[in-house]
Amino acid sequence: MTGKLLAALLAGIFSFCLINTPAAAQQPLIAAEAWQAYKDKFLDPGGRIIDDANGNISHSEGQGYGLLLSVLAGSPADFELIWAFTRTELLLRNDGLAAWKWNPGTKPHVTDINNATDGDILIAYALGLAGQQWRRQDYIAAGSNIARAILEKTVIQHAGRTLLLPGAAGFSAADRQDGPVINPSYWIFEAFPVLDRLAPSPDWAKLRDDGIVIIRDLRFGPRQLPSDWVSLTSPPGPAAGFPAEFGYNALRIPLYLVRGEVTDREFLARLMRATSGATGTVTTIDILSGTTKDNLSDPGYRIVNHILACVMDKTPLPADVKLFTPTRYYPSTLHLLGLSFVAAKQPECL
Amino acid sequence: MKSSFIALSVAIIATVSIVGMKKPDYVKHAMQTFSPSSEEERTPLSSQLAQQQPALRTDSEKAPVFQEIKRPAQPVIDTVVTAATASVVDESALRYFASRGDTARLQAEISRLKALYPDWVPPKDPLAVPQNEDKQLETMWQLYSQARYAEVHKAIAERQASEPAWKPPADLIDRLTVAEARTRLINASDLKQYETVVRIGSETPSLLTCSEVDVLWRVAEAFFRTDKAQRATDAYTYILNNCQNAAERLATIQKAAAILPAKSIEDLLSKEKTAPDGTMEFDSIRDDLARRFIAEANGDGKIVVPPQYISRLERLAETGGLASDALLLGWYYLPRGDMEAAEKWFRKAHDKEDTASASQGLALALIDRNDQLAAEDTMYRWRDDSKDAKAVYLAATANLLALDPPVSITAEVLKRIAAEVIKSRDAVTAQQFGWYARALNQPQTALQWFKTALGWKLDDEPSAYGLAVTYLQLEDMKGLAEIQRLWAGRSERIARVGEVEEAPKTTEKRLPLPKETVVARRQPRTAAVTEEAGYDQATEVVVTRPRRTVTVSRGCKSTVNPQTLAPEAALTRGWCLMELNRPMEAAAAFEVGMLGSSAKTREDSAYGQSLAYLRAGLASKAAVSAIKAPQNRKRAFELQQAILADKAVAAFDAGRSREALLVLDQLKQLGPERTDLLSLRGYAYLRLKRYADARRVFEALASIGNRDGQRGLGILYQIFNDKD
Repeated sequence: MTGKLLAALLAGIFSFCLINTPAAAQQPLIAAEAWQAYKDKFLDPGGRIIDDANGNISHSEGQGYGLLLSVLAGSPADFELIWAFTRTELLLRNDGLAAWKWNPGTKPHVTDINNATDGDILIAYALGLAGQQWRRQDYIAAGSNIARAILEKTVIQHAGRTLLLPGAAGFSAADRQDGPVINPSYWIFEAFPVLDRLAPSPDWAKLRDDGIVIIRDLRFGPRQLPSDWVSLTSPPGPAAGFPAEFGYNALRIPLYLVRGEVTDREFLARLMRATSGATGTVTTIDILSGTTKDNLSDPGYRIVNHILACVMDKTPLPADVKLFTPTRYYPSTLHLLGLSFVAAKQPECL
Repeated sequence: MKSSFIALSVAIIATVSIVGMKKPDYVKHAMQTFSPSSEEERTPLSSQLAQQQPALRTDSEKAPVFQEIKRPAQPVIDTVVTAATASVVDESALRYFASRGDTARLQAEISRLKALYPDWVPPKDPLAVPQNEDKQLETMWQLYSQARYAEVHKAIAERQASEPAWKPPADLIDRLTVAEARTRLINASDLKQYETVVRIGSETPSLLTCSEVDVLWRVAEAFFRTDKAQRATDAYTYILNNCQNAAERLATIQKAAAILPAKSIEDLLSKEKTAPDGTMEFDSIRDDLARRFIAEANGDGKIVVPPQYISRLERLAETGGLASDALLLGWYYLPRGDMEAAEKWFRKAHDKEDTASASQGLALALIDRNDQLAAEDTMYRWRDDSKDAKAVYLAATANLLALDPPVSITAEVLKRIAAEVIKSRDAVTAQQFGWYARALNQPQTALQWFKTALGWKLDDEPSAYGLAVTYLQLEDMKGLAEIQRLWAGRSERIARVGEVEEAPKTTEKRLPLPKETVVARRQPRTAAVTEEAGYDQATEVVVTRPRRTVTVSRGCKSTVNPQTLAPEAALTRGWCLMELNRPMEAAAAFEVGMLGSSAKTREDSAYGQSLAYLRAGLASKAAVSAIKAPQNRKRAFELQQAILADKAVAAFDAGRSREALLVLDQLKQLGPERTDLLSLRGYAYLRLKRYADARRVFEALASIGNRDGQRGLGILYQIFNDKD
């Protein structure tokens, strides 16, 4: 069964081939020193990934990233550690999805039982990868359960398209006046083929295809950018109650696109142009005015546009971006995801 | 350890439980009876899970079934396990606990190993057992004992990476799995994810033991919260059947009582044990149970509480003297309609401790038995305590003012009621103030109150009607026309006010609502209205009111207690008060007159009181007065007619058309029917949809040019046209 699954995965059109080959498995895409530095800073000994910019809380997204990075770093022990925490502390909901937020300062630690769909996707995706990589049927089984719950609770059809709701509750047209509301940065394109193997459904391919079109067509404001949170009423626009910005959520969209092998040059170039700061920074943008909100110089943010330059023009990464030094949880996570992508797919840029 | 393992299992667990774990013999035995094959025991954890995952989903949709599993007389040894492991009994846990001097766990581990491996001989001095030589394994056990389960997983994975041939002790994996399941179950339970709780409980039968009674409680509650009350009862029953810890048994009853109905708790209580000295183990909580059941039943009159709990609480309330117990009983009886019992207990609670709840309950009981004065008095100080308290207070005030027979209300009480009614903008009591003022023949004050009530409640037809009849009384035809215009098409009776020109005086003065309150010996009225209600005007009215009677003053304007007068003087005063149109005071004076020595005085007094009550609109009281002394034929006839006419109108106004017709028939026996009463008959037929009868009456009236007759025919025409 495992062999068959692996073969099917390799044959999958959307298959993200970074780590499926035995060679890749032997050569981790994240260097041991980089992973160690990341763990030292953001991995609690009890298995939780700490968001040090947000009061040291943890969340399902962070646990998902931690699991994914463990696979990319080739560390089954770290995966086991992070998974044990995730399963025991977050994977508690009746519907099989993960509670999104864990706060060390409260009791019970979970103060909001809602899920965050990107966290669920990352966890299931990492379980799928780890299950194949290390032949762990328990991971496959757990990943399958989560993938089924994602399909059942968060994947919907709306106006002829297949959408991903950011949470099981609170975002649909029935829940909000401006619903459905989506978060384009929750489309983790590389995960869908793996989730399709875990819980086979034509919806995964549709989610990918429709997601690419939807996000490409979200051109708000003078800079023609999607906002972090988008209302898909007609016409679409920044969702009510959220800052109308291309912000910290959205700035990982290009990374997910290239990791998910989306190669639409015009689309990628537009995103890169709109978010390139004057001094090589990446910027968050106020949608309505098109003005810069934050200039981000952290290499973890900057690597996103350097990867676009690498993919489109084979431009090498600058030296300080090639080097990993942990800063804050979020940019450092993006940094490792970026570096692992370049190592696997664009080694000439290193 | 062995003995504390529950023989409780969950049917589906057997097939989906974590396999690869070693289980105590009889649990394992029980599970094997459900397992397709004991071969599964040997397959690795991971592939087991993969195969079982689909089954898990399906099975977890079924309601797990608690069932008792009998302990076999002889421990049944799993031959597979024995064969595979007999030569190497894993003593690592034993060593670990020994090294830490943890004798309790050590002993439990020895029992466990003995159950698993009957041939195994425990070390003579377990504390002397050397420490694990395997330092890494030692670390794992240490992490385990510190509940750092994720780190145990990590340590195992690390060691397997560096020593691919190494396998963790099955015992460690077993314990780790159970411990993590326990943590997850508790986390899920804390977060009210009850389906997850049930699922984990089902997957981990070894958690469901007397040594984990907290887990059992949580699973029981989760069953209840997922609509499986019977399973919850089963779980609690299981504890009481199998677990021995006294405090936990008691707590089990308490936890069950928090969610299960009294009937189920009764079943659980049948598991009670009797100590050698005869004391019952659950006695200490029976009082609390009685309180809880009755408190629960307070909100819902349909809940049945076993009678022994009611009598227990009654005994407690009698002897223990807690106001709260009496209060519980009051609120228990109230929704069940036993007002006498409710009042008794509310009063007891109230006397012990005057609280909002006790007063509210007492006031409701008082309102029910029509002691509105006491109800008002009881609730007054609590009226602002809550919305409910305010509603009860205002119910008492409205009822008080509407009382019949009348009671005396002090100026102070009238004043505070008025103030509260204004503050709360309570249209109901305001309207009753209006009728009350009319009853006391203070039409100007009545006008103010009816207007105020209408201001707060625009569609309050009775207030508008009150306004109309009061305008008529004051001969304010402009005011009457205005109110009739405003209510045209909305109220027939308002439209008809003033039409019956030749109506007898008694009918004209009648108060329209039969349940009206009248005051027998009343206090000066000036205090009864506040400024906000236009009381200033009302006060002026009181001052100016005598203008119509100023010429007729016969010395009865001052307020005198008639009880202090001689019967003859009282009789004279009665007639005087009638001339001043103060019928209720007149009635009181006539009452004294009836004590007179001469038959003539008594007859006149009775006649006078009858007329007084008729004028006040109290036909039934008038009838009573009429027979208090024999009357001459003419007077008796006259009174009878007036009383019946009044009753007919009152019945009609109260919507009791059949009764009105009955009275009109009686009246017909006494002589030819007056046209106003004939028209009333017509409208009564109309209301009863006896259209042919109505037409006959209206035609007769119309033929003599009576407007009511014409109008009635018009209405009939409309009705039949609409029908077409």
